[in-house]
Amino acid sequence: MKVDATLTVNGVPYPVEVDPHLSLLKAVREEIGLTGSKEGCDDSECGACMMLLDGKPVNACSFLALQAEGREITTVEGLASATGDGLTPLQRAFLREGGVQCGFCTPGMLISATALLRANPAPSDDEIRLSLAGNLCRCTGYDGIVRAVRSVADAPDPA
Amino acid sequence: MAPFEGSVVAVETVPPEHAAEGAGAFVRSDGKEKVTGSGRYTADLTLTGQAYAKFRYAGHPHARIVRIDVSKARALPGVVAVVTQDDLPDVRFGGLVQDRTLFAKDVVRFEGEIVAGVAALSEAAATEAARLIDVEYEPLPAVSDFVAAMDTGAPRIHPDLASYEKDENVVADGNTMAYSTIVKGDADAGMAEADVVVKGRYVSDASQGVPIEPRAVVAQWRGDEVTIWSSTQVPYAARAGVAQTLQVPEANVRIVVPLLGGGFGAKCDLHFEAQVAALARDAKRPVKLVFSRREEFVAIAQRREGIVMEFETGVTRDGRLVARQATLILDKGAYCGEGGFLGQMAAMHACGPYVIENIRVEASLNYTNNQPSGSVRAPTAPQVCWGLEQHMDEVARAIDMDPVELRRRTLIEQGAEGPTRQVFDEIGMKQTLERAVEMIGYGRDLPDDEAIGVAVGWWPSAAAPSGAYIHINGDGSGTIVTGAQENGSGAVMAMPMFVAEELGMDPGDFTILYQDTAAANWDMGSSGSQTTFNSGRAVLGAAADVREQLLDAAAEELEADREDLELVDGGVRVKGSPDRSVTIGALAEAGTIHGKGSGDVPDAPAGDTGGCVGRFGNETFLAPQLITQAAHVKVDRATGVVRVLKVVAAHDSGRILNRSGADGQVTGGVVMGVGLALSEGTQLDDEGRQRNPALLDYKLVTCADAPEIEVDWIQIPAKDAGPRGSKGVGEPPQVPTAAAVANAIAEVIGSQVQHLPMTPERVWSAARERGSEEVEA
Amino acid sequence: MRSFTSAATLEEAIAALGAGARPVAGGTDLVVGSRQGKAPLPDAIVAIDRIGALRALDGSDGEALRLGALVTHEAIVASEIVRSRFTALADASAIVGSHATRANGTIGGNVMNASPAMDTGGPLLCFEATATLRSHEGERTVPLDELWTGPGSTVATPGELLVAIGLSASVPGTGSAYVRLEYRRHMEIAVVGATAVVTIDQGSVVDARIAITALAPTIRRVAEAERALVGTDAGADAIAGAAGAAAAGSAPITDVRASVDYRTAMAEVVARRAIEAALARAGGADVAIPASDALYGDPGALR
Repeated sequence: MKVDATLTVNGVPYPVEVDPHLSLLKAVREEIGLTGSKEGCDDSECGACMMLLDGKPVNACSFLALQAEGREITTVEGLASATGDGLTPLQRAFLREGGVQCGFCTPGMLISATALLRANPAPSDDEIRLSLAGNLCRCTGYDGIVRAVRSVADAPDPA
Repeated sequence: MAPFEGSVVAVETVPPEHAAEGAGAFVRSDGKEKVTGSGRYTADLTLTGQAYAKFRYAGHPHARIVRIDVSKARALPGVVAVVTQDDLPDVRFGGLVQDRTLFAKDVVRFEGEIVAGVAALSEAAATEAARLIDVEYEPLPAVSDFVAAMDTGAPRIHPDLASYEKDENVVADGNTMAYSTIVKGDADAGMAEADVVVKGRYVSDASQGVPIEPRAVVAQWRGDEVTIWSSTQVPYAARAGVAQTLQVPEANVRIVVPLLGGGFGAKCDLHFEAQVAALARDAKRPVKLVFSRREEFVAIAQRREGIVMEFETGVTRDGRLVARQATLILDKGAYCGEGGFLGQMAAMHACGPYVIENIRVEASLNYTNNQPSGSVRAPTAPQVCWGLEQHMDEVARAIDMDPVELRRRTLIEQGAEGPTRQVFDEIGMKQTLERAVEMIGYGRDLPDDEAIGVAVGWWPSAAAPSGAYIHINGDGSGTIVTGAQENGSGAVMAMPMFVAEELGMDPGDFTILYQDTAAANWDMGSSGSQTTFNSGRAVLGAAADVREQLLDAAAEELEADREDLELVDGGVRVKGSPDRSVTIGALAEAGTIHGKGSGDVPDAPAGDTGGCVGRFGNETFLAPQLITQAAHVKVDRATGVVRVLKVVAAHDSGRILNRSGADGQVTGGVVMGVGLALSEGTQLDDEGRQRNPALLDYKLVTCADAPEIEVDWIQIPAKDAGPRGSKGVGEPPQVPTAAAVANAIAEVIGSQVQHLPMTPERVWSAARERGSEEVEA
Repeated sequence: MRSFTSAATLEEAIAALGAGARPVAGGTDLVVGSRQGKAPLPDAIVAIDRIGALRALDGSDGEALRLGALVTHEAIVASEIVRSRFTALADASAIVGSHATRANGTIGGNVMNASPAMDTGGPLLCFEATATLRSHEGERTVPLDELWTGPGSTVATPGELLVAIGLSASVPGTGSAYVRLEYRRHMEIAVVGATAVVTIDQGSVVDARIAITALAPTIRRVAEAERALVGTDAGADAIAGAAGAAAAGSAPITDVRASVDYRTAMAEVVARRAIEAALARAGGADVAIPASDALYGDPGALR
């Protein structure tokens, strides 16, 4: 039986009707239509689905949609405002430093790095690497990604 | 344009206010959609009325199908289609050997074989319907051991192999699908001449491509025509495969690839497009298939092959390689797919980029009841290089020579003869060695649990036809139309840079229409590191055509001699008279500027190949990409855990056209290579079922374990190559990484780990055996 | 029929359990397990993640520690009390999954999942932890070694909710560490793990608790290993004896992750490293958290 709920994603409340077993990822992708967050594995190993839940990272594929009711959900679509070039410094840095190739891990990676920089605005390289260990990338070798996060962390006004 | 209508992207440069952050950096035109989440991958598509596909898999590695009863599945509410092979044309397909049907026919030959497909209005109903299909099997003896598959009396995987359609060069026998040799001179005589003969045996497990995006396919029919959105690397091969298996004209099949979430070869070949199209036709509505990660491991007929390698090398005291013999046995798995050439490719890598006077390498590519193997990033090369380069270190030890010095004396160079007497043009093989050795600081003192290993390798460039169009629009902007496939590497994204340079325009003036078979010419797709090599040549050809037309039009407009004109800053002007100019927009106002190009396909280099059998085109290497990598590792002897601290990579890929894109290929390839070295191995049970089809137990390298990587390029413009003397870039980085790591590990623990991946347990085991030898001595 | 309730209070949660619902907190085990096909999600679910009372982490100097069932791994790692007095638990929580797992995964979920590979299990056993289970019939407290009955199974009845984990007070002079064999530096599951909690008085070991992880159907303490250490001066021989006893006390299996031989050999290595780290901490040395990383995973500190 489906349950009525309201999910607040990127500041917008969305009324939804979901099955109690539906994951937050499926609710956001299929019911709300925000497909930026990806599904890459079955066991919380890849991090492609990562979202922020009240500011903290969550693997949305393994979190029930109904549990997110009343909380602030942030996806990759909500990182930047639509003004200017529509990108955050972190997103810009990913492009500039070669942190994006196929792009499938990118939404989760950006969310993960955003969570890191909020908790720790000036992480060391090792802290960056450990924090992003839950987000698999097969293309870049992580080099450009770490460089991108570091370049923003070094900046006075991170992400 | 809507995402369903092919991928059209705008080229963006770094906005002016941020230009200082990365002056001159290559900013990919598909970048913004990727960092904002607005870009669509296949699984992100939803069509009105779409049904969900699920497959019923064999589960059995080898069994005869006695009966398939789909009645319960069909009766389930919400089910709109059920398809088995009985519903489809009786067509066998495959590359060099046509050994396979879309759905299993009579016999299943690996656990992930698709027996039936269903489509239903919900995913849950589709899952349930697939489960309700009642299949009765008569189990057959399974062969997972690809060496034992050659035994007399081993169960035959394809008893009808002799009657299958196959390439005329295929030498098949028993369970050996293709036997290939590389022969030069007289290996026995050469071996007799050697001061020392060294032997070695190395075994590589199978491994996987693991793009982070699992496969997805959406198919929709309009009358007799079908549009298929697919996460494929090879849309034209997929189109041909759908046409062949469903018996429809290629013109009626349109393959569109939305953004592709990586491939690494695992998304080459026809895989699931035709099955989903068949379901959609039966359902009379669009059907969507999205794989779980488990399906991605088990059902994808494309993994790196397991290989058993035996090397024997005759060498003189002064380091002359007088003879090489090698026997390679490769695990093809249940079906040929596009990987029939793998044995021959492996044989070339058993020779390596060395001058060897006499050679005999035999390779047997064997059928088993394992998942089929295919072209995962530089297929066969990383495993064979891993074995050969450890063997070469042994050869060096046997003559008491430093391993780098041995390579210095034996690597190919200009004028040298390859394994089939191909004579090389100017190449940078030896320079890559010297550069890598310099970058890593070879020979310096290290703590006793650390060491440096060096390895070399090579990879051919793949010549293939390609074509491109360029339309100059009325406002002076341009559209590049190419059949090339962007797998993430940026190879297609870099095309505006090339075109802009040719036409004196800005890369930002162009958008690209790509990976849509209805829009562009046939292309080999994202395989064989060929996109820039071939598609780049075609795009430059189209740009040259546009250039000629612009010059003609401008000559008329400006009443000037063509030879006096130049293309600068988005216009054509008379050299030395900047005021006599016309903008490209003005010239194209009538919409008449349309260029096309294909470029000449280089021929394969000549060689003395008459003594080789099972030749599939790799007996000589066109514009070889040459690589040296060195790895600095730390080994915890007590546990066998290895950390790769640093890898340096010096490559000759000819002229580098997009440095940051090329560097990104190397960093990614090196890290994938570290995974292959240490943790990425598919474990099989005795009958060929995968035991670790999940990311927790098939371990990719994470950000925390990725080494520091330093990259440099030996830029020698190559002849008979890609645009401006470029060669391929994407596959070589993967070739010698595991080998370099292996040589470093052996240096620390004093013995080689002869089983890939070199897991902690295997390293620990090798170190312990060494320890007990020392005690005995 | 599927149903979902989000309990605002403990009472609501207990009532829902009594009516047959199953609890979910961070979802990191339950939902992942269903996706892997281990067990389907229960039809009736009660989310307990909003019960503020279960989030408390209470303890002060010299006293027992009480962890509400919803205390996350992230909160455990951040807690000064845990870091200073129950350090092995911080070692364990610091290496669970990724930062997303640690932000959502709870100690209660971890304990009730009863995996023989759970990282926090060894430290909890060594700190003589108890589980407080509540149902509509009342409350009972069960020592963890009695709670776990096998892989994935506990003595808790379907109507019982784990509300808190209690850890006994730590004695001055105590140091502890949890070390895990790590193929990769992060995102690992324990293939072999060991916990050591040692108390030193005037240069001699007065108390020792040693537990092994992923080496038996449940995480267990090894009395022989503990005895090998108590009363000694914690010299190399004593450490080696205790580590050997820990390995001898294991009953590992061969699976995709490792063979019996390797697991047994690693049990000794990892136990020795855990004991050494615990002794170093007992002696006031600064061994970074997580100990696995400091002793083992960090390339700079690898032995």
